[in-house]
Amino acid sequence: MGAIKTVWGILCVLFLMGPLIVVLPIAFNAGGFVSFPIQGWSLRWFAVLFGDPGWRLSIWNSLIVGLASSALATMLGTLAALGLRGRVGVPVVLARMVFLLPMATPAVVLGVGMQLIYARLGLGSTYAGLIIGHAVLSIPFTLLSVTAALASVDRGVERAAASLGAPPPTVLWLVTLPMALPGIVTGFVFAFANSLDEVVLTIFLAGPNQRTLARQMFLQLRDNLSPAIAAAAFTFIIATICIGITGLWLQHRRKRMMA
Amino acid sequence: MIARHLPDLKAAALVLPLVAFLAVFFLWPLASIFTTAVSDTEVSRAFPELGRAIDGWDGQAPTPAMQQALVADIRTTPQATMGDAVRRLNSQTSGFRSLFGRTQQAVARGTGPVDLVALDGRWADPLYWNTIRSALPPYTPRFLLSALDLQQGAEGIEVAGQSVHVQIFLRTLGISALVTGLCALIGVPFAMLMLATTGWVRNVLMASVLLPMWTSVLVRCTAWLIILQNDGVLSRILQTLGGLREAVPLLFTRSGVIIAMTHVMLPFMILSIYSVLIAMPKNLMPAAASMGANPIAAFRTVLLPLALPGIVSGGLLVFMTSLGFYILPALLGGGNDQLISSFVAEYAIRQANWPLASALGLILLIVTVVIFALYQRLSTRMAGA
Amino acid sequence: MTPAPFIRCDGIAKSFGTTRVIDNLALDIFKGEFVSLLGPSGSGKTTLLTMIAGFERPTEGGIWLDGYRIDDLAPHKRNMGMVFQNYALFPHMTVAQNVGFPLRMRRMGRADAQARVARALEMVELGAMADRRPSQLSGGQQQRVALARALVFEPRVVLMDEPLGALDKRLREQMQLDIRDLHRRLGLTIVFVTHDQSEALTMSDRIAVFNKGRIEQIDTPAAVYDRPATRFVAEFVGETNMLSGRVADTGPDGTAVDLAGGLRIRVRQPLEPGRAVSVCLRPERLHLGGAGVNVMDCRVTDRVYMGDHLRVALDGAAGPIIARLPRSADTIREGEAVTASFAPEDCWVLAA
Repeated sequence: MGAIKTVWGILCVLFLMGPLIVVLPIAFNAGGFVSFPIQGWSLRWFAVLFGDPGWRLSIWNSLIVGLASSALATMLGTLAALGLRGRVGVPVVLARMVFLLPMATPAVVLGVGMQLIYARLGLGSTYAGLIIGHAVLSIPFTLLSVTAALASVDRGVERAAASLGAPPPTVLWLVTLPMALPGIVTGFVFAFANSLDEVVLTIFLAGPNQRTLARQMFLQLRDNLSPAIAAAAFTFIIATICIGITGLWLQHRRKRMMA
Repeated sequence: MIARHLPDLKAAALVLPLVAFLAVFFLWPLASIFTTAVSDTEVSRAFPELGRAIDGWDGQAPTPAMQQALVADIRTTPQATMGDAVRRLNSQTSGFRSLFGRTQQAVARGTGPVDLVALDGRWADPLYWNTIRSALPPYTPRFLLSALDLQQGAEGIEVAGQSVHVQIFLRTLGISALVTGLCALIGVPFAMLMLATTGWVRNVLMASVLLPMWTSVLVRCTAWLIILQNDGVLSRILQTLGGLREAVPLLFTRSGVIIAMTHVMLPFMILSIYSVLIAMPKNLMPAAASMGANPIAAFRTVLLPLALPGIVSGGLLVFMTSLGFYILPALLGGGNDQLISSFVAEYAIRQANWPLASALGLILLIVTVVIFALYQRLSTRMAGA
Repeated sequence: MTPAPFIRCDGIAKSFGTTRVIDNLALDIFKGEFVSLLGPSGSGKTTLLTMIAGFERPTEGGIWLDGYRIDDLAPHKRNMGMVFQNYALFPHMTVAQNVGFPLRMRRMGRADAQARVARALEMVELGAMADRRPSQLSGGQQQRVALARALVFEPRVVLMDEPLGALDKRLREQMQLDIRDLHRRLGLTIVFVTHDQSEALTMSDRIAVFNKGRIEQIDTPAAVYDRPATRFVAEFVGETNMLSGRVADTGPDGTAVDLAGGLRIRVRQPLEPGRAVSVCLRPERLHLGGAGVNVMDCRVTDRVYMGDHLRVALDGAAGPIIARLPRSADTIREGEAVTASFAPEDCWVLAA
């Protein structure tokens, strides 16, 4: 029984982690092929990745669109989470459901719809249009994260602040928001990660100037597989691990603070 | 009294920006998908006068008023609009293009009334007039019907010649169901294993769920491209294990797509089950054992029923997400492994056939929203319990 | 002439939806007084406190503070210090920042505020902890920070909502004495919510006993304990034996009551003959031996050693009775026949 469990666990971990591990060494392959065995070690594909103007532009675009859309989604999500906090009733349930719907909507469907209205609004192939599109997809993440954070803020603490002389806006600013801050940051990080990874909506909405890293990778993967892709993937994985560690640290900090 | 409603007003003011934002940039796009899928103004735009004159026509011989309305429309409608309309009418009744070409030339020559029947005997045939009339309504079910391989025939709705879309919908549903099943099959024992371990072992298991989940889908596609290559890692392992002479083809096959999709969705399933199991009191299994249940009986009567809500909600999530997959099949699958999203994108981007893309998208959207509603109900019930 | 009440609650009712948690309640609290609101959970005591603090509005009736009606006054304008059940310290601020918060809200100068915070922390013996976070303190220390925070701005009233509920027994008893001491030293007006009757008895000037949204009795601890107004008060505050009977006759030297078991006992209160009554008899008022006015023969059915006393279950003509005996009675055994007695002035009779 124990041996079966161990073998099963190892197989599952291999299945889950194996693909991530396989990508890493290829990024350092001196040869031009995306396959094993490694023909020698080199950083040349990173030089290609960060040196090529096309790749460089796409990295900048990803950062700009990611930061702007996450900021927009976090702001809207935080306001709405504050408004919906502690409220019940049919309209609230419905509103919450609509706010979370972008999470369920297939990206292709949203892409078609947004392109239809962008044609009328003149937002097609603009940064603003792409940022808005990514923000729509990110709103469920920020809303969920901030809602959870607000739910864990003890009403008693806010009442304490009021009884000590703080008017409602001060309570919000000095007590509620600082206590919910880890959740707000988590929402922002999720939104940013989500935007970094977004391809489908970008295909519909972005012009050649707004080509993001993910879109660039998608095209390269489809057309010609070069180790530069593996280098990009390597960068992605390292970024993910950093984001993950930040997230865990925030969670840990919050737990320690609330204990 | 105002003071008592103040909290409601404040809440509304806070929620309003998001409502407005989503109304414009989310609900409006979805609504325009719907209108694009059912609207059909190609013909009615070209024949505004005829549209009014044909009202109440008995369907027999064309009336003089209809003839003169048609003449007026030919003289006022821009060439491009008329061209679209004629192309469309010709696809329904062949011969329309030549008839219209002759008529347009003759009508353009003068400014007064024209005797159409004298010009071309075909205008006496109600068939052509009926074709125009049937294409005049601004709303049509034909794109939605065509998305389901149906068409409007003389006798009502009938099955169109070849089955294209239904087959793809079935493929999408089938692959999604298979991926959901695989995720449950691997996810349930894995979540229980996580529950049974402690310390660093559990941390390793948790990390191996979270890290892939956080990693970009594109990165995972890259990884699977490398692994599934024809002389790639997995292919060689299978070759050795099976003692085969030829490499096992995996890339651009259905199996490859399903393996990679399972890899992408598995973390969601595991976390969904794990979050239910971890919330349950730790001593239930020992309690069941103390009352004489052997491990298998305890699993069947205690653990599985408790884990079931997690399995179901995780399953709904996996199924719903799988339905909309586009990137992964596009990169790892062959032509016969594409899901419905690929066809929506194909119609929209390559062919600019927005009505058909919208119709297919609308059907996909409706299926997804229904599953999402179920998922929401289940997860709010679970949170409330 | 009695002074005007400092806090006055009049005709207060509070409903949540269709549930009425407080019904037509009146309570006057005087300046410098320590009043406990005592009752089981759900009796409305915490709801009344949150209405005084301003977090809830009464559905009916009004609340006055120092002669001014405060129903419409927002909580942050009431100038009341409040100590919460789980302390409600700000987890993202240090101890000093927590205690300084009310001063910051009142825009007090930095130097002044620092001095006040230091003094407040000295008062609760936490001067060394000023730079710690609440999560780095023990439960008792957190409690004292909450106390310092509620007192530092010299509020007109201090409200306490079961502030000692989360502490262990020894710490709780220590804190009870500390709070009582602060009350006396600073001349504070304190409204203290608790469900622990011994806590209320130890600390209060007066106790308001709550039951089902009403006040059953409001009086000094001794009066509440010795002369409970209702059966509920008698049973909720301390342990009591309830003996049901009927008044036989009454005269200048007391009243005779026939108990259900057939025994006739004498009590002090004058009562109308023929009435059905309940006689409250506190377990510690029973003695062994036949000396006394009311004497009965009993059998010992159970004895439990409690450390500082002996708890004995007796069965006799008055029915089953609990007695609390001194350690000197240690020799009695289960099944033994004993004589128990009690004085007429130790009986308190309530209408049945």
